Amino acid sequence: MIAAMRSRVARAALTVVAALACNDGLRPTTCSGICGTVTFNGAAPESTQAVYVVAYHTFPHSQDSLFKFQPSLAALRALPLTGIPTFYDAAVPPGRYEWVLAVWVKQGFNLTNADSTLREAGYYRDPADTSQPGVVTVAGATQPADSINFVVDFGHMHPPCHYYSPPCP
Amino acid sequence: MGLATIPLGAATAQGTATLYGVVRDTLSHPVRANVRDVKSGRETTGDATGRYRLMIVGGTAVVRVAYLGLRSIVDTVVLAAGDSLERDYRLEAAVVELQPTIVTAAKHSQLLDQSVTSVALVSDTDLARRAVSTVDEAVNKAPGVLFLNGQVNIRGSSGFVEGLGSRVLLLVDGVPANQGDRGGIDWDMVPVADVDHVEVVKGAGSALYGSAALGGVVNLITHDIPVGFHGRFRATGGTYANPPYDTWQFRDYTGGLAGVDATGSYGTETVRGSLTLGGRHSDGYREQDRSNQWETSGRAEWVPEPGTRVTASGAWTSHQYQNFPTWCVAGACDTRGQAYQPFMIDNSGRGSYTRSNKGYVAATLDRTSSPSFAWQARGSWLRTHFTDANPDDWSVANRLGAEARGVLHVGGGDDRVFTAGIEGAHTGTRSDIFGDSGRVGDHTEIELAPYGEAEQRIGRLMLTAGARLDHVIVDDSIATTVASPRIGAVMPSALGTWRASAGRGFRAPTLAERYVTTTAFGFKVVPNPDLRPETAWSFEIGNSGAFASWGRLDAALFWTEASQLIEPAFILVDSTPEIQIRNVSRARLRGLDASIAVTPVPALTATLAYLYLDSRDLTRDTVLSFRPRHLFTVSSDYRWRSWSVGADFRYTSRIERIELDQIFGQDPRVAARVLDLRAGWERGPVSARLLVTNALNYMYNFVPRTLEPVRTMSVVATWTY
Repeated sequence: MIAAMRSRVARAALTVVAALACNDGLRPTTCSGICGTVTFNGAAPESTQAVYVVAYHTFPHSQDSLFKFQPSLAALRALPLTGIPTFYDAAVPPGRYEWVLAVWVKQGFNLTNADSTLREAGYYRDPADTSQPGVVTVAGATQPADSINFVVDFGHMHPPCHYYSPPCP
Repeated sequence: MGLATIPLGAATAQGTATLYGVVRDTLSHPVRANVRDVKSGRETTGDATGRYRLMIVGGTAVVRVAYLGLRSIVDTVVLAAGDSLERDYRLEAAVVELQPTIVTAAKHSQLLDQSVTSVALVSDTDLARRAVSTVDEAVNKAPGVLFLNGQVNIRGSSGFVEGLGSRVLLLVDGVPANQGDRGGIDWDMVPVADVDHVEVVKGAGSALYGSAALGGVVNLITHDIPVGFHGRFRATGGTYANPPYDTWQFRDYTGGLAGVDATGSYGTETVRGSLTLGGRHSDGYREQDRSNQWETSGRAEWVPEPGTRVTASGAWTSHQYQNFPTWCVAGACDTRGQAYQPFMIDNSGRGSYTRSNKGYVAATLDRTSSPSFAWQARGSWLRTHFTDANPDDWSVANRLGAEARGVLHVGGGDDRVFTAGIEGAHTGTRSDIFGDSGRVGDHTEIELAPYGEAEQRIGRLMLTAGARLDHVIVDDSIATTVASPRIGAVMPSALGTWRASAGRGFRAPTLAERYVTTTAFGFKVVPNPDLRPETAWSFEIGNSGAFASWGRLDAALFWTEASQLIEPAFILVDSTPEIQIRNVSRARLRGLDASIAVTPVPALTATLAYLYLDSRDLTRDTVLSFRPRHLFTVSSDYRWRSWSVGADFRYTSRIERIELDQIFGQDPRVAARVLDLRAGWERGPVSARLLVTNALNYMYNFVPRTLEPVRTMSVVATWTY
């Protein structure tokens, strides 16, 4: 009786260990949200503080929605401004994004002078109509949006109010 | 059992007699057993050949011979003053030592079953089997204990705060050893070669130990020094596995590790001393992960008369290591098209390096005045000094501590015991990071705390009540007083021994938490001198006992209500986010902590341990950060003649929430499944062990962007004299 019980305990323990030991640890992944390659036109201005890739669920048509982007402010990663095409990975949560863009940040930026220190420096465009922003969908944590490639053009940057309704003069 | 009587003139003069002999196990292997005269409390420990010699008072004496993992023997001997008696003992194997003696839970020697709180033991057998190189490796597999990147958690006590402000107190032979400035634990301060066994007391221990014992106490008990010449030499060599995926390769060679340590000791009946020297090198398993370490420790004992012992001990470690701040994500290094590279560092952390020197000296006077009263006085000096490169900062902390304590066993027994004492400490720091808003500055902290606890047996029930009053003064201006009461009860029954306790714990903010000025993750970290102590009430009810001749169960339900928890938080200063350490959270941690030890066949032992942790951040109404819900550990060892094999498997569920979620929230996190394998061979004074840790080469992390160790294969050869 005791021997049988010991055997059952041993079998149960081995089964549990085998089940728990399935290896699904960290694996290589090419993207954790929205990622792709940014190509640069021109040189970054000397007054550059940083350039970030951000995404908006809905297009920001007013200053009220200017800071409703992903990833959060604290999670932003600055693009390396070496001039050569670079891979980026914006760690955004799953969802539909109407605008994926590069934001140029001028030195001296703070939350109260955004209109004069932020610029749109390039955005992902709709492959069917390159005059329009492309919509990007991140289907889930394991289904990122890859190959969201676009150009950052330091010679054609626009302030946030350029996209407001109505736009600034 | 041999029996011989010989006269001993010197002993006659003191009215004492000598008991001596050899202790072996049933395989005739010598055992370093503890041999104790129960009435007087005098005790000794056998040497490597099992020989012991104990001075006892002439007359009838009850002697207890004990060794963890073996069944104790209680023997009654009759000796006239001046006589000597040879007694050899043979201890049988036991699943778990039925009556191990512990010293931490009540600040005096007591049987494990008499403790009102849960205590986990890491025996010298466990240490030998695992052939660990560092103390944290020894503690890590204890039931209910989990290390998060070097930060110890007992039932989820600490979470992870970059090593700052541990909610677990480290003791070395009862002497507090947390860092004076940061409050963290330097697990490399004491050579593992010195550690005999480890006691892990779970739950709030502030009623006896004060600040930092909020979640528990870890006491490293070092080896006693046996009589005669003895020595030990140990050499370790090994390799780290390469990354399992080609795209994660980061170097063109296989990383290695090596170490040696040697211990020599000599002892007589009255004077004993030991010295340990050691060094280690590791290439590390990641980029920028090399380390070199030199360590030494020593101990001297003088027994001027039976019942009096003067001990001086100390250790010093110099550790130079490269830092791996965080792994690299896209945009922070050349990730070769990957979202992250777990073996490569963020470019901003390149060149990060630390030189950390640390050590302590302590002197203790133990005096057993009578069979019913014993007292102890001790003084200690703990020093830590680190210098960082990238970011460049440094800090020196000196902590001077003293304690006087008396233990009264009314009537010489354990039915009524009073423990009382007073403990004080002065900590001084000089630093450019914990100084004065980024400049070099000095800070001091003075602690003074009287405490007392009483134990009273009523029938089968043993009741305990006590309290400690901690008075803390920072920079001669900020004063805080905290009371930490505790009550408990223990009652043996046919269904095992029941225990219950309720106690209050606290942790005073460390000088680093009050005054840190630095930059982390691109954000300025600003000081907060007005921090208040964090506090917690801990409740526990548990049971332990044998459920069959081949198995033993220990289980406890615990509940902790914490308030004013000290954690990093974002604040807005002139519209710019900054990090500040604040009293931000109320929290609740509750769950089940259970373990089963079984011996299905005589040569096979196995232990299963499970921790279920339900943790809530009551302020934010979320799961508490860095607390996995499930922690499951199974260990087994099999011995055949001179050979042994064993394995540990630990499952840690995915951490549901992390701190600074705004930065790291999208990073991958997985459950941990880690298998360690071991094999050993022993013949006489020589042994060799093969260890394969993380044998599945499972890739996982507990804290953001920090890969836990990969598969590591090492061989440890030991020669003991």
